[in-house]
Amino acid sequence: MNPRAVTVWVGAVLVVSLAGQDPIYRALALGAAVAVLVARHRAGTRLRPALLAVAAAASLTVLLNFGLSHTGQDVAVRLPGWIPALGGPLTLEGAIYGVDIGLGLAACVIAGISLSLVVEAHQLVDALPAWLSRTGAALGAAMSLVPRLGHSFLAVREAQQMRGWRPRGLRSWSAVVVPSVLTTIEGSVLLAEAMEARAFGSGTRTALASSRWRAADLIVVLTAVVALLGFLASLALGQVASWQPYPSPGVPGVNPWPVICCLALFTPAALR
Amino acid sequence: MSSPARFENFGYRYPETDGLALSGLSLELGSGLTLLGGVSGSGKTTFLRSLNGLVPHFHGGQATGRAWILGHDLRTATTRRLAREVAMVFQEPESQFVLDRVRREVAFGPENLGLPPSTIADRVDEALQAMEVSALAERQISTLSGGQRQRVALAGALAMRPSLLALDEPTSQLDDSGARALQAACERLAAGGLAVVVAEHRPWRVESAGSRRLELDRGRLVPLSQAGWSPAALPPRSPRPPGATAWELTDVTIGHGEPIASGINLACAAGEVVCLTGPNGSGKTTLLRTASGLRPPLSGRVVRRSGRAAYLPQEPGGVLHQATVLDEVQQTIRWLKLDSQPGPILAEFQLSGLAGRDPRDLSTGQRQRAALAAVLVGRPDLVFLDEPTRGADPGSRALLIRVLERLASQGAAVLIATSDTDLAHQIGDRVYELRQGRLRELVPATA
Repeated sequence: MNPRAVTVWVGAVLVVSLAGQDPIYRALALGAAVAVLVARHRAGTRLRPALLAVAAAASLTVLLNFGLSHTGQDVAVRLPGWIPALGGPLTLEGAIYGVDIGLGLAACVIAGISLSLVVEAHQLVDALPAWLSRTGAALGAAMSLVPRLGHSFLAVREAQQMRGWRPRGLRSWSAVVVPSVLTTIEGSVLLAEAMEARAFGSGTRTALASSRWRAADLIVVLTAVVALLGFLASLALGQVASWQPYPSPGVPGVNPWPVICCLALFTPAALR
Repeated sequence: MSSPARFENFGYRYPETDGLALSGLSLELGSGLTLLGGVSGSGKTTFLRSLNGLVPHFHGGQATGRAWILGHDLRTATTRRLAREVAMVFQEPESQFVLDRVRREVAFGPENLGLPPSTIADRVDEALQAMEVSALAERQISTLSGGQRQRVALAGALAMRPSLLALDEPTSQLDDSGARALQAACERLAAGGLAVVVAEHRPWRVESAGSRRLELDRGRLVPLSQAGWSPAALPPRSPRPPGATAWELTDVTIGHGEPIASGINLACAAGEVVCLTGPNGSGKTTLLRTASGLRPPLSGRVVRRSGRAAYLPQEPGGVLHQATVLDEVQQTIRWLKLDSQPGPILAEFQLSGLAGRDPRDLSTGQRQRAALAAVLVGRPDLVFLDEPTRGADPGSRALLIRVLERLASQGAAVLIATSDTDLAHQIGDRVYELRQGRLRELVPATA
């Protein structure tokens, strides 16, 4: 896929996920993001760790909101007031609002991840205009840090296991996490040094190749723009209802036009 | 024409350190090939970094004296300016890659020079060909072996067509063919009047007629020593009596989804040292990891006797994370509940004086020794080492050989994957070569 097309699509998913609070549309945007990631990720990339991390972050959001909001009419459980932060009523509305935020968060993160799992770093660099070429190269290097951290984590865990380390509780993982992060930070400094030594930033950059457009890329851009504008128009026209779970949760409103806009975001997954 | 590099009483101190990394350096580098020798931590890497201004401009610290690189005053010429004429390949090539594909990575430098795309393409093709990695052009760098990565890093430097080329331990992971390709490239560049400076612990692999030798010791230029400039003669070694089989691979296929090598039958007995050599990317690391149990075989049978296994990965940074070298060794002792003290292994690797230092502040060779000490402390039964002489000077290699001899005599079964064929023949009871998917024995058993 052309990285510019992917970027436009990501932008559309982000706007749809963040513009309204209706969980139905957020769920649809999340569905589109997952479908595109699953259908279009590059060969050799691993989706499971990323999806698990996003699921964990979204679950944490639900738990945090449930534990900390203390707002709403339907009390699920009441914790003693002397417990810091958690003490007080824990409400169903708090949990539902947490789910809503979690859906939006997951949709945004998964759409963002698509940039590195669907498009290769050098494609993204090529896609940027000449005046952004330095930023692009820095972005390319930054994108390579994510898989580098993953690689570092696996290598350190393996080396430590062979030295007798065994996972025993959360604290024991510091023996793997700390060196992984240190190794990655050290790698980042070395990378910055290497980039400097390879004349990065010494003048105008050129590119070996520029990105190409295919018909499918144009369809992705077109549908993403239509979805984006359509959703914003629906929002402006009041067709995306202002949903709030507080003080008591109501059924989210569903309107065909915003739903169609959300479904249009699935287009990259359907194209070949 | 002025000389490519001139130093007058040049000295340098890294930030937040007491000692001088370079001191009183006065020399003039001519065009052609210059080999830089010296033990680990002698200042070779710092000197190379001064050739493109990383020292002092990137690292900070304090520089004294004067230096001119290609006519530019080092006090005012930034790395960005110098990098347009000076190319450098770092000791750890895996840490210098910016992009994901080989071809694009090699193009990164020429792209920064603002060259037209057609010129970049020509230079990239030529550089890939010079380092004999044209076949890897479309591969993802993450899928390459250590040696292949080193070749790609060298190609990236060659593609910049610099006036001065600085190479830091460029053959540390190269097989013989890679070293020959590098030697030919250096010869070609030197013949063209360029200055090539190579810091190398096995200088004979890149040395050619007319090349010049320099040696550093504790940051100072010193008269050339006798040792280290030619391969050490192999000392006679009495065969070790093998014990019971420690691990065995029967009709094994190795690979990452796709098979790399098949029909592998290999065993190692207690008290035996088996070495695995082969071209870069042939699967040495994968075979070592399969034998160690870190990776399952695609097919076939792997049997290992129980006992403590010690494993040194190709990138030793993954092992080192404690505040000091001593803590690092003690960590292994604690985790494995060993009845050992850190003192003896630190002494064996001549690390006693560095025991209180942060491993990340050490030179690559010293770090490698620290990692070896951390994994080999005590009496491991099974030893698996991946490129253990990476960045090691001749003295460090000798120390490693001594430690491995001791471990084998105590009954350890040792497997070493290495592109250092000298080491393999020096220490190995049996030496195997993995090439084109097949494993064959190079030297019959000495027993």
